[in-house]
Amino acid sequence: MHIPDGILPPTVAIGGYAITGGMTWYSLRKISRSHNPSEQIPKASLLTAGFFVASLIHIPIPPSSIHLVLNGLVGVVLGYFAFPAILIGLFFQAVMFQHGGLSSLGVNAAMMGIPAILAYHLFQLHHSFPQGERWANAFAFLAGGGALGLAALIFTVLVVTTIPAEVNAELERRAIYIGLAGYSVQAVIEGTFTMLLVSFFRRVKPELLSDAIDN
Amino acid sequence: MRWQFFLYLTLSFFSAAPVFAHGAAIEHRRTSAIEIRATYDSGEPMANAQVTVYAPSDPTKPWLKGTTTEEGTFVFVPDPDISGDWDVKVRQSGHGDLVSIPVENTEATTAANQAQASDSWRGGNYTPLQKAMMAALGIWGFIGTALFFARNQSEKK
Repeated sequence: MHIPDGILPPTVAIGGYAITGGMTWYSLRKISRSHNPSEQIPKASLLTAGFFVASLIHIPIPPSSIHLVLNGLVGVVLGYFAFPAILIGLFFQAVMFQHGGLSSLGVNAAMMGIPAILAYHLFQLHHSFPQGERWANAFAFLAGGGALGLAALIFTVLVVTTIPAEVNAELERRAIYIGLAGYSVQAVIEGTFTMLLVSFFRRVKPELLSDAIDN
Repeated sequence: MRWQFFLYLTLSFFSAAPVFAHGAAIEHRRTSAIEIRATYDSGEPMANAQVTVYAPSDPTKPWLKGTTTEEGTFVFVPDPDISGDWDVKVRQSGHGDLVSIPVENTEATTAANQAQASDSWRGGNYTPLQKAMMAALGIWGFIGTALFFARNQSEKK
């Protein structure tokens, strides 16, 4: 899922940084307007740690293997903290493990962070439905799986439309579409994981779910 | 006319020898080839991935194109007259990497390189133990940040 250096043309990489800059500013403004901005920082830091190591855990799905992204889960639990959390997590993944590159950090952050914010808003919709485990779980599943699905879709569109001339486009496109099929399986896994964790939080510590930041 | 026929036969025997001959010859020379091996960070080989080689003389134009084997390997012989960093890019479904391989053309360094040539791979990913250490240190950084801000909050209370 992470786009490494040298895959995207410079204009796309710069555009990614512009979008990420705007989204970071907007998220930080939302956070600073909440009643106690620093209250959520310990939780955000721990979720960033989870996001940071998730990409190292490989799940074998033939013909290759996938790693969890968890951007939907980060979005559901952190709200607007999700965007800076994902940006920081991606920065450390790039400099320590070469997952993604520094030139493509902006694109990667926008690709995973914006679906995370959308997942948060999608999960909040469960308040409009009758209170109960079932609706919260359903929206958690949709948010977790949907965020990964949307990120995979953005990834696919970006790499398919920017295949350089020296690469065999047909071969590359076929490989990308096979990859997209793998991401659909991953969306179900991430949706289930998000649902299980949200269900656990709702039982053990409901205040951990960021219902109060959106203002 | 008979002597003319023999002259023709003799001449054609020597001049067009390859046409009639069934012999074969193999020439050989030693070159310094470079073999790359591309793997995903899970350790799986990047099979049938597209490889583009750029010569140091023109890093914008592909010098050679090809695909990796099932084991993720690819062999090429760089032009010994072009010294510098040869860039090799491997790409598959939007994933990939770029590596710079230094190639020197002076005789002394060629001899030194041949002496150093071995079966061991250079570069590549970290070992699982290194990764685990780095991940643990990274996690500790995040936990430390969490504890720091949690302490501030408990002091305020």
